[in-house]
Amino acid sequence: MANVFAFVETRGTDVRKVGLEAVTAARMLADKSGGGEVHALVLGPPGIAAKASQIGQYGADSVIVVEHAGLANYNPEVATATAADRIKSGGYRAAIFSTSAQGRDLAPRVAARLGVSVITDVLSFEIEGDSIVVRHPMNIGKVIATVAIAAKPAVIAMRPNVIDPAQNAKAGKVENTQPAIDPASARVKVIETRVGGGGKLDLAEAPVVIAGGRGLKAAENFKLVEDLAAAFGNAAVGATRAVTDDGWRPHSDQIGQTGRLVSPELYIAVGISGAVQHLAGMRTSKTIVAVNRDKDAPIVKVADYGIVGDVFEVIPALTEAVREAKKHH
Amino acid sequence: MKIAVCVKRVPDMDVRFRIGADNVSVDEGGLKFDINDFDAWAVEAALQLKDKNSGSEVTVISLGPDVVQETIRKALSMGADRGIQLKADKVPFDGLVIAKALAAELKTGGYDLILFGKMAPDSSNGVVGPMSAELLGLPCVTAISSLEIANGKGTAKRELEGAQEIVEFPLPAVLTVDEGLNAARLPSLKGIMAAKKKPLEVKPAQLSEAQLSIRKLELPPERKAGRVVGEGAAAVPELVRLLQTEAKVL
Amino acid sequence: MAERQAKILPSAHQAPLPLEQLILTEPPDAEAVPMDVLFVGGGPAGLAGAIALARMVKADNEAGGDLGDVQIGVLEKAGALGEHSLSGAVVNPVALRALFPELKDKEFPFRAAVQQERVYFLTGSRALRIPTPPTMQNHGYQIASICEIVRWLGEKAEGLGVNIFTGFPAASLFTEGKRVIGVRTTPSGLARSGDPGSGYAPPTDITSQITVLAEGTRGTLTQAYLEWQKVASQNPQIFALGVKEIWETIKPLDAVVHTLGWPLPRDCFGGSFMYPLSRNLIALGLVVGLDYKRTSDDVHEMLQRMKLHPLFKELLESGEMLEWGAKTIPEGGYYAIPQRRHGDGLMIVGDSAGFVEVASLKGIHYAMQSGMFAARAAFDALKRKDTSSTSLKAYDQMVDGSFIAKDLHRRRNMRLAFQGSNFYVAGFKAGLMTVTGGALPGERIHSHDDAEVPREVKPSEPFVPDGKLTFSKLDAVFKSGNATRDDIPSHLILGSDITPDVAEMYTHMCPAGVYERDGERLVVSPANCIDCKATDVLGPRWTPREGGSGPKYRQM
Repeated sequence: MANVFAFVETRGTDVRKVGLEAVTAARMLADKSGGGEVHALVLGPPGIAAKASQIGQYGADSVIVVEHAGLANYNPEVATATAADRIKSGGYRAAIFSTSAQGRDLAPRVAARLGVSVITDVLSFEIEGDSIVVRHPMNIGKVIATVAIAAKPAVIAMRPNVIDPAQNAKAGKVENTQPAIDPASARVKVIETRVGGGGKLDLAEAPVVIAGGRGLKAAENFKLVEDLAAAFGNAAVGATRAVTDDGWRPHSDQIGQTGRLVSPELYIAVGISGAVQHLAGMRTSKTIVAVNRDKDAPIVKVADYGIVGDVFEVIPALTEAVREAKKHH
Repeated sequence: MKIAVCVKRVPDMDVRFRIGADNVSVDEGGLKFDINDFDAWAVEAALQLKDKNSGSEVTVISLGPDVVQETIRKALSMGADRGIQLKADKVPFDGLVIAKALAAELKTGGYDLILFGKMAPDSSNGVVGPMSAELLGLPCVTAISSLEIANGKGTAKRELEGAQEIVEFPLPAVLTVDEGLNAARLPSLKGIMAAKKKPLEVKPAQLSEAQLSIRKLELPPERKAGRVVGEGAAAVPELVRLLQTEAKVL
Repeated sequence: MAERQAKILPSAHQAPLPLEQLILTEPPDAEAVPMDVLFVGGGPAGLAGAIALARMVKADNEAGGDLGDVQIGVLEKAGALGEHSLSGAVVNPVALRALFPELKDKEFPFRAAVQQERVYFLTGSRALRIPTPPTMQNHGYQIASICEIVRWLGEKAEGLGVNIFTGFPAASLFTEGKRVIGVRTTPSGLARSGDPGSGYAPPTDITSQITVLAEGTRGTLTQAYLEWQKVASQNPQIFALGVKEIWETIKPLDAVVHTLGWPLPRDCFGGSFMYPLSRNLIALGLVVGLDYKRTSDDVHEMLQRMKLHPLFKELLESGEMLEWGAKTIPEGGYYAIPQRRHGDGLMIVGDSAGFVEVASLKGIHYAMQSGMFAARAAFDALKRKDTSSTSLKAYDQMVDGSFIAKDLHRRRNMRLAFQGSNFYVAGFKAGLMTVTGGALPGERIHSHDDAEVPREVKPSEPFVPDGKLTFSKLDAVFKSGNATRDDIPSHLILGSDITPDVAEMYTHMCPAGVYERDGERLVVSPANCIDCKATDVLGPRWTPREGGSGPKYRQM
């Protein structure tokens, strides 16, 4: 019987999907270790407390809410101090975070403060006797490691999207409390969180890449691809060499040919036949989707999922569907 | 300014890896090694600050066996001033062990700024930078994509999912560097020659006991054959469903 | 629309060597890096030379000599040693033993001793075993990867204090009168337009007392020097193109295999090789003379078709291609060697000097030995404080008195016998040469520059690679490790009158898909270039480009 801590990531007054994933994961881990409580910590500005009950729905026995005007943006020092204090005093078996941009910042700090190790980008976990054993990809996903964590608490940051937030209503008893340190005293100050625009996700780093080819017929039709990328929110736009050579897109957008390798979680090829120079550049993508009017196009053979049809019909429909799906994050 | 940059020697990722006979390490036969790209960007950031602030000194630190001296020399040939090797038989997998060893060395340096790369592609954990900062009790900003330092203070941008954070911090501080901050300068011929004469100190690494251990390494399963989900816009709902439930990428 | 030609003469469409770019009369800049001896090229010749010289200097200093600190530099265009090195290879260990007399054979970077050897004559469906010609016997030699040899030599060189500058291609020679006084490297970070882009690094000027050109096959500065100083050879140098692959296989290969015949057309010189690097690793390739007779002749395609022959298919099936690459080989032999390989402040070694014996497919030990001779001549010149041509002539004398000249002389007409005749007549002549130790036919057979050999314009048969055993050029280039940035400016100098047929010929000539014919026009993708130099021989001229560009061979 062991209690598990979950850190619920927020942005402003919104609870992020990865936060609920952490709660679900904590619930799973608690259940695997003979049942135990899940205590979830959530920080945010005024208005965040109203989301607490939602967190209980996903398996939290208690929800520790820190609502403070100074927490409109992420405050790494407050989050670190508050989480570490709670975990230390709570005697938890494990503490679950997400390997989001924020989680990558927070989980290691909390672990160091507690004097324990941390493992990020975790795909799955098991209890084996006294250890928690996790799977963690190494070498850009080309090798999978099975790692045993001897530390208590085991600080684990889950890979986003591998745990489905699962409804599992528990007491969700809300405890309102103060941040461990005064947000104004933090040395590092996030002065603004700028949504959308600005941040251009580099092709090599983006978790989702949407690439367009000759099948789009004209440079202005790349708008379809851009709209789809915008619907995903975390997608970069790429192009084939044919299209960059013709000047429809800048050369920096080019995927394939001799060197530009991308390996995103999701790769969507729009109107691309899959000439070898392109395939060579994206073959190691985790999931490949191809939309092409020709069912025999080489890319359709390589793709995990293919839709045969007119890109001008399929892509707008897909964009709309993705927008809908993302609304529930 | 006194700047320290921690660097790691990593294998080239553009290969098919083989698992070693011991099942817990990667077979290094035929692998080519170089400085971690993220760490090279960190070195570049330090050098750009040195270029702007005369009288600055950049120290490069790496933990590991003697081969890491090559990596330190690479940074020296880019323009760093001195190197320190924290000698250890192997680079531990447990980031806390590395962070503790680095922090013990960094503590004594009186550095205004300590830079790390955001992550190393081999261990793929990305924790040593923020852990070191915590152990040193220093302010820390991770994964910066832009940086300005002036008058003992700094401003940086961090990339989030679909957003950016603008962050301010005082010096001394620890920063970890993300792609997009800069492009690492190539060593000049003169730089390569000068690097041979720059000081490289070797000290034993203070290694604590690891709390993480690799039980086994495996290659991921082969790609399964794909399928055509349907035709036209009508196939979209099914595709989305599969992306959510089966592929888990949405 | 251009009139269809019946034949194309490659030289008619080639640009001349840009001498004004390659030979500089302006002085190096004031900040030039001073070296004493500079080896241009980090292959076996350059590295063996640097090692030999470093050792001689060290021994001399330890014995109380007055040379002091001699700066030895090696300039290598690849980003790391070995990345542009490619060969079969079956190596004669004589030069390595001479360079490292203190080491035992098992300490050298060889893969395996040659055990069994087999030679076949192939038809489209059969493999007829023929007795191994004496010129091809490899007993006592070692199977090796030249990349591994080069990296091993590099470590030895660095241990001796040699400055190895990888990622620094030599672009031009600095001269003063007839003397070579240094080298200028290429700039990096140029935008497609040729103007400095972001990350621009200007060229570096280096001065050296002695420059040793060890550029390998079809060296650009070597050609420039010879043309500038009007150094001739009795025959022009001729070349073959070798395309090579490394396969991981389930079935082991138990012998060194060579084949003749199919898929080469009867009027093409060449053959294939297949060597076991280890139990599950095979190196195989096809070598074809660049004097081939049709515009549609395509060495990469011939290799792909060849792999479908039962002799190869059985072995490669269910295996995986790990690497692919290509390189030209100088085949002119004895008569194509420049009349002098030294000058004021200069020596030429290895493949650049043409020290390759094509009948036995050997060049690595000649390269190393010539490098070692150049080191000796350089050492003596430095001691004498005389680096003039007269002083460095000793290098030529050492080569002429060695097994390099002896071997090449004995086989001097072998390859040339094939240039004019068909395979069987030539084979007979070659047999005669072998039996008579080169005495018959003894007179020099005249040969033609490859670019002066006309090619019949022929449409090619479409070839569709299966992606498992056979691969397209673009898939192949990916396996060469080539990650050259796509917006790199072109380093290739086009000639004139590139008709659609000429474009088509270039498409087949280049193994890496640099050239494509798109309707009436030639499309050039310079980033694909793997520096094999076939283009320099028959098509657009190759010039040095940004360091680190090109392939990244690992075990070739």
